[in-house]
Amino acid sequence: MADIDVKVSSWKLVEVGRLVLIRSGPFEGKLAAIVEIVDHRRVLVDGPSTEEQKIVPRHVLPLAHATLTHFTIPQLPRAAGTGPVKKLWAKNEIDGKWAKSSFAQRSERSDRRKNLSDFERFKVLRLRKQARYEVQKSHAKARAANKS
Amino acid sequence: MADGFPGRLTEYQVIGRHLPNEANPTPKLYRMRIFAPNTVVAKSRFWYFMAQLRKLKKANGEIVSLNVIEEKRPLKVKNFGVWIRYDSRSGTHNMYKEFREMSRTDAVEALYQDMAARHRSRFGSIHILKVVEIENNDSIRRPYIKQLLQKDLKFPLPHRAGGKVGKKVFAYSRPSTFA
Amino acid sequence: MSDGQTKQFGKSQRVVPADKAQKWYPVDDQSQPKKVRKTLRPAKVRETLVPGTILILLAGRFRGKRVILLKSLDQGVLLVTGPFKINGVPLRRVNARYVIATSKRVDISGVDAKAVEKISAPGYFTKDKKAEKKTEEAFFKQGEKAEKKVVASARASDQKAVDQAILASIKKEDFLGSYLATTFSLRNGDKPHEMKW
Repeated sequence: MADIDVKVSSWKLVEVGRLVLIRSGPFEGKLAAIVEIVDHRRVLVDGPSTEEQKIVPRHVLPLAHATLTHFTIPQLPRAAGTGPVKKLWAKNEIDGKWAKSSFAQRSERSDRRKNLSDFERFKVLRLRKQARYEVQKSHAKARAANKS
Repeated sequence: MADGFPGRLTEYQVIGRHLPNEANPTPKLYRMRIFAPNTVVAKSRFWYFMAQLRKLKKANGEIVSLNVIEEKRPLKVKNFGVWIRYDSRSGTHNMYKEFREMSRTDAVEALYQDMAARHRSRFGSIHILKVVEIENNDSIRRPYIKQLLQKDLKFPLPHRAGGKVGKKVFAYSRPSTFA
Repeated sequence: MSDGQTKQFGKSQRVVPADKAQKWYPVDDQSQPKKVRKTLRPAKVRETLVPGTILILLAGRFRGKRVILLKSLDQGVLLVTGPFKINGVPLRRVNARYVIATSKRVDISGVDAKAVEKISAPGYFTKDKKAEKKTEEAFFKQGEKAEKKVVASARASDQKAVDQAILASIKKEDFLGSYLATTFSLRNGDKPHEMKW
């Protein structure tokens, strides 16, 4: 009998130091670190980001309003104050790592698309058309070459 | 409160005394810490408890001072022990409960919610005797709080449904609940 | 006041007044005309409506067209031009309410200020009175041969004079000409209240 390889699915864990994405409320779309677990539904979070407009003040966040991310601040002590969290946040380059994540990039792109002006929207339309035309042209060429 | 709204209850310090008269020009002051939604209820509760404990009521007494007690460290998670006396439909019981909250008022709010849920009891049928922050983790008695104090506590949030935004009546694929 | 006349009635005499008292009085009191407290103030021009801004027309014959704002006239009227060569919109007055101002501006500093001044003068766009009145004959002849509308040559030359400088500055930027040539329309899922212009 063949061995069946059973793998435990790797759930992200609610733990001190885990970074969460806030999905609703006044800090929607911002990143914060779990500083302490209040109970199974709520955590105390703090997001002393290096960028002014991304700062999340220390507050209790229901886990229903959060999404766990892959990132953690390792060795964040339990119930650390905003100062130490800020230091570790900068040391672990959380903002840079987050900006590189696909979620952040996607949301940034959609934000940029949303804020295009009418003329810019028109330019996007035209440039996409041009790019598409080039792709189709080379595709047709390749197809023709294959046929013969 | 848990969901980010400002709290329902406030903690008040109410000090009152018997009206001074010739027999006793300096009556004894009585002080209470009362959890109430506003000052009117706080004063009312003061007279309610006063009449139960001493021979003193609103008609022959006065409120000397009333002020709000603020939480000293509202950004710290604390464990609270709450002693209450509560009138059920069949009798009076004393109870001790523990809560893990950010402030005394949060703990008392959670207590009222918990009592309403488990015993269908109302604000009027609960007397809060004592609210104490338990600083020593070993003296936590209830297992539901004890389990949150273990070292390196961690747990997953398995299988979450996505948000309701943009949800249609019918789905053309099974939702992904892995997050 | 004259005393009137003395008139003989049979044997007696009586003075008849020259102006008799009125026999009938109005039933209602004299109505006081309503005082108008409104004043005719100059219309306030939106901040975004700076000359040179590209506008999207929302109503009228040229709805959907993207045009260039030349000047805001009084009473909330805007003077715009296509330019005519690009999208067929002539020099025209439009209501500022029925217009979306985009954030794109075109340099119109090269436009002859005197020409714009002339065009924005009050009488410029008013129709000329027809020289000959329509006769009955002319009415029946109508169907036979449509009279071609002749554009006054003065208007055409004004159009050219104004557009010349604008066309030059449009040419300097990529896609700008074709942007003005296309009309605006909403697609599926477009939410105009959430869009940036």
